[in-house]
Amino acid sequence: MLIELLTKRYPGMRAWLTQRLSGLVMAIYSVLAVGRFLVLQPTYYEAWVDFFKPWWWRLASLLFWISLSIHVWLGIRDVFKDYVPNANLRAILVKLLLVLLWLYMAWATWLLLG
Amino acid sequence: MKFSIYRFNPDVDKKPYMQDYDVVLEDSDQMLLDALLRIKDLDDTLSLRKSCREGVCGSDSMNINGKNGLACITKLSDLEEPVVLRPMPGLPVIRDLVVDMTQFFENYNSVKPYMVNNDPPPETERLQSPEDRAKLDGLYECILCGACTTSCPSFWWNPDKFVGPAGLMQAYRFMVDSRDQAMDERLENLEAPDRLYRCHNIMNCVEVCPKKLNPSAAIAKIKDLKFEQAREHKNQAKKHIEIKSV
Repeated sequence: MLIELLTKRYPGMRAWLTQRLSGLVMAIYSVLAVGRFLVLQPTYYEAWVDFFKPWWWRLASLLFWISLSIHVWLGIRDVFKDYVPNANLRAILVKLLLVLLWLYMAWATWLLLG
Repeated sequence: MKFSIYRFNPDVDKKPYMQDYDVVLEDSDQMLLDALLRIKDLDDTLSLRKSCREGVCGSDSMNINGKNGLACITKLSDLEEPVVLRPMPGLPVIRDLVVDMTQFFENYNSVKPYMVNNDPPPETERLQSPEDRAKLDGLYECILCGACTTSCPSFWWNPDKFVGPAGLMQAYRFMVDSRDQAMDERLENLEAPDRLYRCHNIMNCVEVCPKKLNPSAAIAKIKDLKFEQAREHKNQAKKHIEIKSV
């Protein structure tokens, strides 16, 4: 049913639900991250490398980053809609945001999987 | 009692200004509307809407010390001086405390705030069980004063797109009416990204409603109905496939 609500048939619900689901992913990751941080207590460079060594954690981190990017995209797009009444300027800002998010996404992927 | 009131007459004034009044009230003046009428006796150029003077018509909604409310049911004893009165925010000012509510009512009308039932009318009336009738409590009492919608930032920024709390609550009021037959159409009508989902649960609407209603809860329940609708669509699609395969 959730997948049905994420289809084009429900454009409003799709954006709203996507923002909630991405928020949920980030919340779960944050709890896990704090837990791992408290257990492993990485205080120097090598410890941080070990912290990100397990493949499943790198995958989870990537999932977190994807969720963050989607969440930011939907949220900032709404802020632009509210505060930038000029449609041309808004279109430029939205495109800039998209480029920035893709760049960050590529960078995060390279850092985590590269 | 001291008042500072927003004044603007588009025929004379280039821009709005605040005018101070110091009024001697009588013992019978208990509500803000009483004081405003006392001020109007002194200065009949002051414009405001009023009618029932008991919180039923919703005409005298205004911004009172920074919070929207009805002048007729706001006790003077609860107000800090000087009482600052402004027109409701987010709507064009016609004059002084009178705003143009066209946009508000356009949004309200857009949700089809009336019962849709295509069955032939019965001889007497369309009956409801007491349980079904109870579902309308907390919804039908809305007097359309506009206090909630004009205190909603989502409405301020997108008045032509976001329906606003009052309109959405009335949409839900008809969705849950057991006599109504247009649930699907009503939900479809709110599916555009900005009509319903611009609500960010800021809850100003709940805080200011003079009838103590909860538009925010109604908006959340519309989203629940959306989930139910999607489940039904999925089940229907499944049945359709099953029938085809048979």
